[in-house]
Amino acid sequence: MRARTKRKLAGAAYVAPAFLFVLAFTVYPFMRTFRISLTDESLLVPAEYVGLDNFRDALDDDQFWGAFRFTLKYTVLLTPILMIGGYLLALLLATNTGVRRFTRAVVFIPVVIGLGVSSLLWYWLFSPRFGLINAALQDLGIIDEPILWLGVNPNTSLWAIIVSITWKVIGFGMILFVAAIQAVPKEVNEAALVDGASAWQRAVRVTLPLTMRTVLLVTLISVIGSLLAFDQFFLMTAGQPLNQTATSVFYIYLNTFPFLKLGYGAALSLMLAAFILIFTVTQMVLSRRSAR
Amino acid sequence: MKLHRALLAFVFGAGIVTAGGITTSATTVPPDSAPPEEAAPATVPTEWDVEATGTCDGGPMTMWERSGGNAQMVDALVAAWNQVYPDCQIELTYIVHSEMVPQLARGIETGDVPDLMGLDLIYGPQFTSAGQLQDITDLIGDDPLAANIVEGHRSVATWDDRLYGVPLYADVSLLFQNRALFEQAGLDPDVPPTNLQELHDMAAAINDPDNGVYGYYLAGNCSGCNIFTFAPLIWASGGTIEPAECGDEALVGDSIPTVLEWARMMHQEGLIDPAAQAENGETFANVFGSGNTGIMGTGNFNVFLAKQQNPDIDLSVALLPGLESGQTASFAGGDIVTVPMGSDRLEDAVEFMKFILSDQVQENVYMRLGNLPTRSDVEPVFDDPDVADTLQALSVAQTPFTLKFFELINSPQSPWLQMLQRVYYTDEPIDEIIADTKAQMEEIICEGAEAPATTG
Repeated sequence: MRARTKRKLAGAAYVAPAFLFVLAFTVYPFMRTFRISLTDESLLVPAEYVGLDNFRDALDDDQFWGAFRFTLKYTVLLTPILMIGGYLLALLLATNTGVRRFTRAVVFIPVVIGLGVSSLLWYWLFSPRFGLINAALQDLGIIDEPILWLGVNPNTSLWAIIVSITWKVIGFGMILFVAAIQAVPKEVNEAALVDGASAWQRAVRVTLPLTMRTVLLVTLISVIGSLLAFDQFFLMTAGQPLNQTATSVFYIYLNTFPFLKLGYGAALSLMLAAFILIFTVTQMVLSRRSAR
Repeated sequence: MKLHRALLAFVFGAGIVTAGGITTSATTVPPDSAPPEEAAPATVPTEWDVEATGTCDGGPMTMWERSGGNAQMVDALVAAWNQVYPDCQIELTYIVHSEMVPQLARGIETGDVPDLMGLDLIYGPQFTSAGQLQDITDLIGDDPLAANIVEGHRSVATWDDRLYGVPLYADVSLLFQNRALFEQAGLDPDVPPTNLQELHDMAAAINDPDNGVYGYYLAGNCSGCNIFTFAPLIWASGGTIEPAECGDEALVGDSIPTVLEWARMMHQEGLIDPAAQAENGETFANVFGSGNTGIMGTGNFNVFLAKQQNPDIDLSVALLPGLESGQTASFAGGDIVTVPMGSDRLEDAVEFMKFILSDQVQENVYMRLGNLPTRSDVEPVFDDPDVADTLQALSVAQTPFTLKFFELINSPQSPWLQMLQRVYYTDEPIDEIIADTKAQMEEIICEGAEAPATTG
């Protein structure tokens, strides 16, 4: 009994630092955010309790839901590109040769650049007056007039940002996929090869199922990242035209900081967090089922 | 097969390398596309020709200033002060613009507020009305130096007839003219447009889109650029834009529809570069310096920027006109310096204010660095006559006064920007656009405020 208690105490001691960390940096801020969401906090004047008014207002806020729909659209379009593109790159680059190692490093380089910096770089690239993309397309005779990539047409803006983000983050998924593919036992692939499976059949029927856990992990990271998209839209379109490229986090930022409506911003944040939580739990449940 | 895949991998990688290469070169190679460096004369003095104007021996003071403002100017003011007040050194910290309020709120909670705070002047009414700033009226209100501070800054630093700050630095908007393009079009660059019709006619004469030259410029995706350069056209014509507080009417003035029609006409006639529709402010300061725009509303700081970007550019400045000849206006921007609640160094902080308003600092620091003075009664002393010309805007400059400037005007989602985009790029009836904007602005200004008292 005493030994059991000792073991329990030792276990608790091991867990304690992580538990305290989560308590201080996750639970407490979350509770604080929830408390703020029940007030009209503005920082400039003392806050008053407003109950669930902020949440009610959010439900009727067309701009928030418009931004949310746009964020979903962005997520739905970007995720398959990152997943499929990253996986194909990984299939091509999984073997350790000099050229492939070099190419992997090159594809991965943009991942270590800050998102704000890369967004500004692409903003300049897409600039109709100063950008190299329009200049190159004009020099090649593909277009006559510069294309207004950003902030004019919502679809063009969206695709321009998707291109920039693909360049920026596709290397992240690729590296994880490469690690997963390299962990697939050689014998399994060799057996498939002996059975006459083509490269494509081995990729789809052997490698993919054996790397499914990584695929699900990368999907999760990619979707959450897309749902929380901010920097690239803030810097490249500022939500334009007519707020049609404003993401949920961008709208939350506007309310919280420039508008100083912290209570409302907190309520919106919690609603978005709840959605992401539901999505994550659903995906984890589904992935566990598929792994059985 | 392996070779095939290796080659494919290499080609894929090379494509991405190329994309990266393009990105890198975009920021470094083309001289006319490089982002502007900070506006500055060739040398910034390390020693300032100033003397103490009073006494301050209470020990070091702290000052916060928002980032993204005129850091060079603020650095110089603090350096000049520190040079002559060794017992009262100011320790300057830059705070990210959007973090200023949260930082201050945290500071008030923990008792760690700065002794001086530089604030974007548009936030003046919000801070003063919320009781976050200390009243300096009794300490400086009667001082002749304060009697002549630029009007735009004074208005936003005043609440209930009490003064809460003085200008830290000032920017004004003006009409910039490319003299070479004027001459090419057979126009006299020394005769600026005196009303919007003349502005249109001159822009039309200059316009040469086949050669990439456009008559005028209006940023299509930048609320700040437009309040700075387009709002003065409305003000000059007798209109007002933002409601100050709940109960006030938005967009007041019979001239507003005409000014908006004028802006639509400028677009429809192709006098404005179509690329301007994508302008979110990031490249706004580079436009005039590129030398392809005949006339453009921009700020006094653009004199330096344009010349840095394009040393051959020959420019002149004039006031932004209204519908009728003789009507002019300008936007006064910049920062005010204030004392936040909680600071116990009010008198020393006001001493700093008196110092920066003194003749010697106005001349030997502000104007020496090519910045505008912050008092309207000082004699201009500038090396560059174009900079001296920008001074004319101070006397007609104004600043919007509202408790919700960001929501109404400055936000990318503001009704102000939405109105302009509908005017510039759609055929929707102007009256309808104005009515929608009016309703949105009046709803925003009353949000969270007590309903205005009704009369009648």
